Order: sequence, then C-alpha cells, then structure tokens
Amino acid sequence: MARVSKEERKSGIISAALKLFSQKGFYVTTIPDIAEKVGMSVGNFYNYFTSKDLLAKELVLYISQYLGDKIRAINESDDSSEIKIQKIVTMYFDMATEKPEMIEYFLRVYLSNREVFGEGCEGMTCVSPFITEMMIFFSDGVESGELHNQDFFSAFGLFMGYLGGMVFLFGEKILPDPLEEYKESISLNIYNALKTR
Amino acid sequence: MHSKQDKKLKLLWFQGVTCNGNTHSFLNLPNIEQLLENFEILYHPILPSIYSLEEILKLEENCDLFLFEGTYDPLMQHNGVELSKIVDYYTKHATHVISVGTCASFGGMFKATAPERNSGLIFNEEESFGPLLEQKQKVINLSGCPVHPEWLSYTLSMIVSDKEVEVDELHRPIELYSNLAHHGCTRNEYFEWKVDVDNFGEKEGCLFYKQGCRAPMTHASCNKILWNEVSSKTRVGTPCFGCTEPDFPRTDMFSTKTNMSIPQDTPLGVPKRSYLTLTGIAKTFHIKRLEGKLIDYKTTR
Amino acid sequence: MITKQLVDKIEGEASLYFELEDEKVSFATVSFPHTRGMELMLEGKNALDALVITPRVCGICGHAHLMATVRAIEDAYKNAGYEIHLSEKVELLREFTLVMEMVQNHFKWMYLTIIPALSKLTNSSQELTPLKGAFAASIATKAIATFAGQWPHSSYMIPGGVTADPTNIDILKAQSYLSELKTFFEKESLGVSLEDFLAFDSCNDFTKLSSDVGALNEALLKTDMHIKGFADDTFIVLGEHTFTEVTKLKHTRHIGVQHKYVSTEPSYSPHEKTYAKNALYKDAYYETGPLARSLSNNFAIIKNIHRRYKDSAYSRVMARVFELASLIQHASSLLKKLDIADTSFTKSVDISKINARGVGVVEAPRGPLMHTIDIENGVIKKYSIITPTQWNIGSSHKEKPTPAQRAMIGLTKEEANFVFRTFDVCSVCTTH
Ligand code: SF4
Repeated sequence: MARVSKEERKSGIISAALKLFSQKGFYVTTIPDIAEKVGMSVGNFYNYFTSKDLLAKELVLYISQYLGDKIRAINESDDSSEIKIQKIVTMYFDMATEKPEMIEYFLRVYLSNREVFGEGCEGMTCVSPFITEMMIFFSDGVESGELHNQDFFSAFGLFMGYLGGMVFLFGEKILPDPLEEYKESISLNIYNALKTR
Repeated sequence: MHSKQDKKLKLLWFQGVTCNGNTHSFLNLPNIEQLLENFEILYHPILPSIYSLEEILKLEENCDLFLFEGTYDPLMQHNGVELSKIVDYYTKHATHVISVGTCASFGGMFKATAPERNSGLIFNEEESFGPLLEQKQKVINLSGCPVHPEWLSYTLSMIVSDKEVEVDELHRPIELYSNLAHHGCTRNEYFEWKVDVDNFGEKEGCLFYKQGCRAPMTHASCNKILWNEVSSKTRVGTPCFGCTEPDFPRTDMFSTKTNMSIPQDTPLGVPKRSYLTLTGIAKTFHIKRLEGKLIDYKTTR
Repeated sequence: MITKQLVDKIEGEASLYFELEDEKVSFATVSFPHTRGMELMLEGKNALDALVITPRVCGICGHAHLMATVRAIEDAYKNAGYEIHLSEKVELLREFTLVMEMVQNHFKWMYLTIIPALSKLTNSSQELTPLKGAFAASIATKAIATFAGQWPHSSYMIPGGVTADPTNIDILKAQSYLSELKTFFEKESLGVSLEDFLAFDSCNDFTKLSSDVGALNEALLKTDMHIKGFADDTFIVLGEHTFTEVTKLKHTRHIGVQHKYVSTEPSYSPHEKTYAKNALYKDAYYETGPLARSLSNNFAIIKNIHRRYKDSAYSRVMARVFELASLIQHASSLLKKLDIADTSFTKSVDISKINARGVGVVEAPRGPLMHTIDIENGVIKKYSIITPTQWNIGSSHKEKPTPAQRAMIGLTKEEANFVFRTFDVCSVCTTH
C-alpha cells in the first residue's frame, strides 16, 4: 500500500472539511463527521488540527493562498489591466464551477461566522495573500494609467462584490445560463467601471 | 607662524544659482572655528577671505579645494566672467571638488530657473551630465537642501586628514548617505505598526501614509546626525521632502502619492508585495498605546 | 564719470555705479544681476508646495518667507469663505521662530558685515571676530530647530497651524538656548546686562560701554556716520506681529497704512542689466527694517537718536543693534505665554477646494515681506513676492532717489559702500 504523506493527509482533511462545512454548515459539522469522511480516527485527526476553529482558519488561509497564487500569476504577466480583469473573472468563475466548495466556504462560512475567526485571523490576516494581490492589481493599473485612481475598498468592493453576487446567484440556481456565459460581459462591465475617465 | 600657514589647504567657495542656504547652514557648525583653521580661505561669500570677489574673478590664483554651492548655469556671469570659465579654471588645479547642496549635486531647486541648461556639476538629476564629467573622480556630492553642516565638516576633515572618502554611485559619501532619513525617526514605531495620522501637529503617528514623508526612500542621515544638533523635520511632524535625492523638488510634497489608496512608492528595496502583506497584517492589530495620545495635557502654562 | 563697484559679502552680489563729482558721489544706481525666477517656478504647483519652495528664496530669512506663504494661503482660505482660527500657541510658536531668525540675522550682520566693513573704512588694525556672529546665530537657530525641526529651510508652518507638537521639555530647551544667547550677548557684545542696555535712553549711554557695541558706536561717530547716510526720513512697517506697530512714518508722525497700496516698478539701471524691481507705497519710497520698526514702536532711545541724528547711517546701525537686544527679551516673553495644552493645528477643508487670492505680510529682518498668491482649485495660478530690500535699495532716477540712493549722495566711494551695507542688503531676496 502506497504511503500517504502527512501533507497529503492534511489536504485531504481540508478538502473534506470544505465540502462538509459548505454543505451542512459550520456549526452542524462535527470533527467525527470530518474524520469519517477522510477515513481516519478522531484521535488521529487531532494530530493534524487540534480544534475545529483552528481548522476553520486554516481553510480560509488555504483558499486565500490559492486565490492569491492565481492572481499573482496574472499580475506578473505583461497583460493590460483589461485582459487581467478577464483573467481574474475567468479564474474566479472557473473555481466557482469546478471547486464550488471553496467559494461557498469563503462566502458562507468565513463571512458569516466571523466570531470563529477572531483571534489570529483578525482583519486581513487570514485573507492577506488574496487581498495583497488585489492591491497589486489595482495599484499597477493606476500606475500604468489604465485604471482610475480611487479608494481601494471602493474599487475592491465593486470588483469582488460583483463576482460574489454572481456566484451566489449561480449557487442559488437563479442564473439561467452557466457562469461561463457571463465572463465576457462581466469583465467588460468591471473594466468600464474602473478604467481611467 | 607663517611657515605653518603655508601648508594649509587653499579653499575656495564659489556660488552658482543659489539662495545662500548652504552658506548659512555651514555657519551653524559648532566647531567651525577649529575646522577652518586647517584652511586658507581664498574666497567665501560671507566669511573673511584673502581675496575679494573681483580678485578671484581675475582667475589668477589656484585652490586645492573647490566648493561649489548652487545650480550650475553655464551662462551665468559674475562681473562679466562666465561661470563656465570660472569653474573650469579653478577645478583644473584643485585636488577635490565638493558640490555643496542638492543644487550643485543634481540641479535641485534652481534647475527650474533654466531647465534646458542648468544642472549639477556632474549630474542632471540622475543622469551623468555637467561641466566636470571629465574629472568626476574629484567630485564629492553633498546633496541636501541645504547641506547639513556636519556632513560638510566630515568631508573636509577627511580630506584634511588625507583619508579616502568612499562614495556611492551618485558620488555621495557612503558614510553619510547609506542611511535613510527614516532611520532614527522618533515615529519609527508608528511606521512599524502602520499607525497613520490624520492631522498635522501631533507627536503620534507616522507621516508616510498621508502626509507624504519620503524618508523611507531618501538617503540621508538627518535623524541620526540631528539638525542644529537638536531635531529633524520628521521629529517635529514635518514630512521629509526627500531633499537629498536627485528628484528634489518633487510636487505635491505634503501628501502621499497613492494608487487606489496604496502608496506608489514603498520603502527602498522593499517589494510592494512584501510591503502590502506586512501592512495588511500590521493594520489588523489595534494597539491601544499607539492609537491614543502619548500625553494628555490638561494643565496650562 | 561712472565708476563701478562690485559689492560682495552681502547676501548675494550687487553692483554699484557711482557718478562722481570731486571724488564725491553725486548719484548712484544699483544693479542686481542674478535672478532665479521663483515666482514662475511656483505657478502650476499645489499651493502647499509653496511652503517648501519659498523658504528657498533666501538662505538667511527663509523662515520669514515661510511665514509670508502660510499667511497668504490662510488669507486665501478666508477669502474663499473658510476662515481658519489659529490657536494662541500656534501664533506664539510662529512668532518665536520668526523672531529668532531675526536675531540670528542681526548677529551675523553685526559681526560678519558691519564691523568688518567699518574696520575697513577706518583702516583699523583691530582684530576681527566674525565667528562670534556665527556662533551666536547658531544658538539662535538651535532654538528655532527645537520647534521647526531645522534651520535653514524649515517648512513647519502649515495652513491651520504648525506641524510640531512640542512638550515642556522642548520649551525648557528653547528657554535655555535663549539664556545662553543672552549671556553671550551681554558678555561678548554689550558689556552690560541686557536689562541695563534696554533701559538706556540716550545714545550717550553707548559711550560708556567698553565692548564690541561700544567700539561700534565709537567708530561710527569717528567716521561721522551720525551726519552721513541720510535717506528720506520716511519709514514703513507693514507686518503685523507682537513686536510691531503697523504704520508709515513721516519723520516721527504715524500715518495708517493698508498693504493694498503697495506696488512695484522696474528698477532704473542704465549700466547693467538688473532683475530688481523697486517697491513703493502710493508711489513713494520708504525705508524699512529695524530703524523703521523701532521708531514705530516709540523706543525711547531710538527716538533720542533720531532726534539728534535723524535717519543717518549711525541711527540705522544702532537701531539694528538695539532691536537685537529687544528681540532677545521679547522672545523670552513669548515662550512664557505658551500654553502646552493648546492645539497645534486646526483642520480646514482640503486645499483643492480653494479658489481665491491671499496676501501674506510679515516683518522679515530687513522689513516688510509681502507674498500674494492666486489659487485655483488648490493650484497656484500666480505668485508674487515683494521683499524688504526692494524698498530700501531700489534704483531710480536722479529726480526721485530711493532711500539707499539718497543715503549715498555726497559721500566718498568708500563711505557710500559702507552706507550701502547699513541697509543690510539681501540681493538673493531682491531678485528672487
Ligand atoms: S514619519 Fe517618516 S521618517 Fe518618521 S517613521 Fe514615518 S516614514 Fe519614517
């Protein structure tokens, strides 16, 4: 039997937990539920995460790092801000389609159970990789003259709120077409709203 | 007594386009008397000199040290003699040339007087340019608007004691300019924890985020070797304007240039990504001691 | 015959062109051959940038320029409907650092300019001590830097206040620099206590001094400077301060003034290109500076001197020395009034909201300094600067000489050169 490394085990727990948290909700899901889903004993589980809260934080970091890495690759390209917007939108919608649990977790668990994330996860600490890359994206765009200079959160809210809203509609099955179909128009809308006037 | 005097280095201080600020800054030097004993002053715009300006303009004497204050304008004339001739004549024999202040070093404030021709002695802002390019190894740039008297004193003393003054790529002594003006500011803790300040006139808070402080991007030892031996701009709540750098004077000097609320320039050598990561995290912690007033004065007088 | 004299060891350089009759000056014109175009440089910049740029008009009185700028911008705020009320602490701090700049100026002028020039005139073999002036000035500038961060070229005054938020430690430090300065002045310059000196009410009292000031008094009398170097005997003081009386004087009669009547005209300089402009009040020239301020303040001793020697070179020099003493005392009273709990800064609307003109007038070491700023959406449309030397050392036609021109008439070249310096010439300011 092939040995499974500790890291692989850990990511197994993460993906199982993501699914359970976003399906059943954070409070209802128990550690035995997660342990069972990954096929390990509850005792062994505690070798990886000492509490559910800690796991919850680790998940936010994991998602934020994942998003941050993707956006960083886009930021480091020579593309124009307009193209970068398309790429970020595409990346985000693809993720919502292929790994809906990630976005779900982010929107439903992280944003609605902030009390869990108090200590050690205040403010931007746990979402820093993601926010940092969005800051870089915006400031590069202003510096190159493509984007209008404004308050960061006004721009960030416009961008991510819009995407979050679409994913929510998609998740609620209200959207008539798959997310894929909206990439182009939404990218254009975002670009038009942010570009230099 | 006379034989000893003969060995003194001959110093000539000459001015291009200037406000006299470096001259007056130098007069603040506490040990000016002892320092000047090492030199024979052929000419200085204010201090007693052996020759008058008229005599100096005859271009007959030679000096060992040529100190130049002000922006170099080749067409400027002193009593009918072109500045280019004067600089050319005196620097040829001099062993050392010191650009005193940012104007002489990079063009500075009075580059704007005639931008098409004015410059420093060997630099036009950051670009290699000026009348002394061919003898640039002689030139030491003491940028600063004005120069700090101790910086000039250090340089002169090094020359007197026959020591090599090591310089950076902009010809500034590294012992004076390897520091950033930010080093030693009393607001450093606020910078570390990213505590900004909305208003001027407060002891608390760092001026990097809103008020335009350039100190983390500026090579100078203002907060290490204090001004007038007592203070510095940032210590009294004035942002650093980056006056030792080639791009001085910049514009909008009392506000921080931001792109989508993110500072356009990050501390020297710190990648924006690292800076933002740290900032995001530091801003998360609300530290009472740093957010409140240090002292709450109630008593009067 | 026209003779040219190049004047150096003033702030910058100037040329004097003398018309001589029997070895005596019958007419003189003045040229200031260098300019830096600072007013133009300011156009198109954010109005607040002027707080960094205008101190660089002048290395010796940059702080006065800073204050003129901040007053001009605050006046524009007022004219735009956003009057800013400054706290008493702000007024006192600004006033203190301004006064200390005057103090350093007067020390330097006395030891680096006037005593050496006089000694040259009298061929005196007495040893000169120019660095006394630099030393005293350096203590005065320490006191400035305690609040203003540095001198020269501080920008600590901003619309609404000052950037500094001093503690009692700073105030005590400034006080101790001030007493160090006072002791130095008493011991090295006066030879009596400051209080005793300030209580003098006749210039005969100066003759009792065996000190630098005593020697200065004696040399001035010996060279007949009390009957030489007369200007028009009209004076003007425009800057409003705790130590001034804004007025215009004909002899000793006070007449009210308004700065709107100040204007300029091109200098008359037939022999060399000059960049200077003459300053006028209702089409007339006036002498400015310490003599003007001391007379307007009704200082007993200066009135006594003036009664005897009018506006001679002697009166001009001794008024400066006396003003130095009175400013040192005044500075100390300003510090005593500081209320540490007062605010350092009153916030107002952003400069980009301002569309207005503002005028800032202060007394600089040599007299009134006036800045006028036109602001459009926070940006400088136009900036104009009128400096004290433009009042004292204008250059005009024979029929209507300026104070300095008139003061040089009838003197030998050498005397005229000395009298010229009694006005404390600032070439860099004049042509800015
Ligand atoms: S005010 Fe300027 S020098 Fe001081 S800590 Fe902040 S950035 Fe550094």
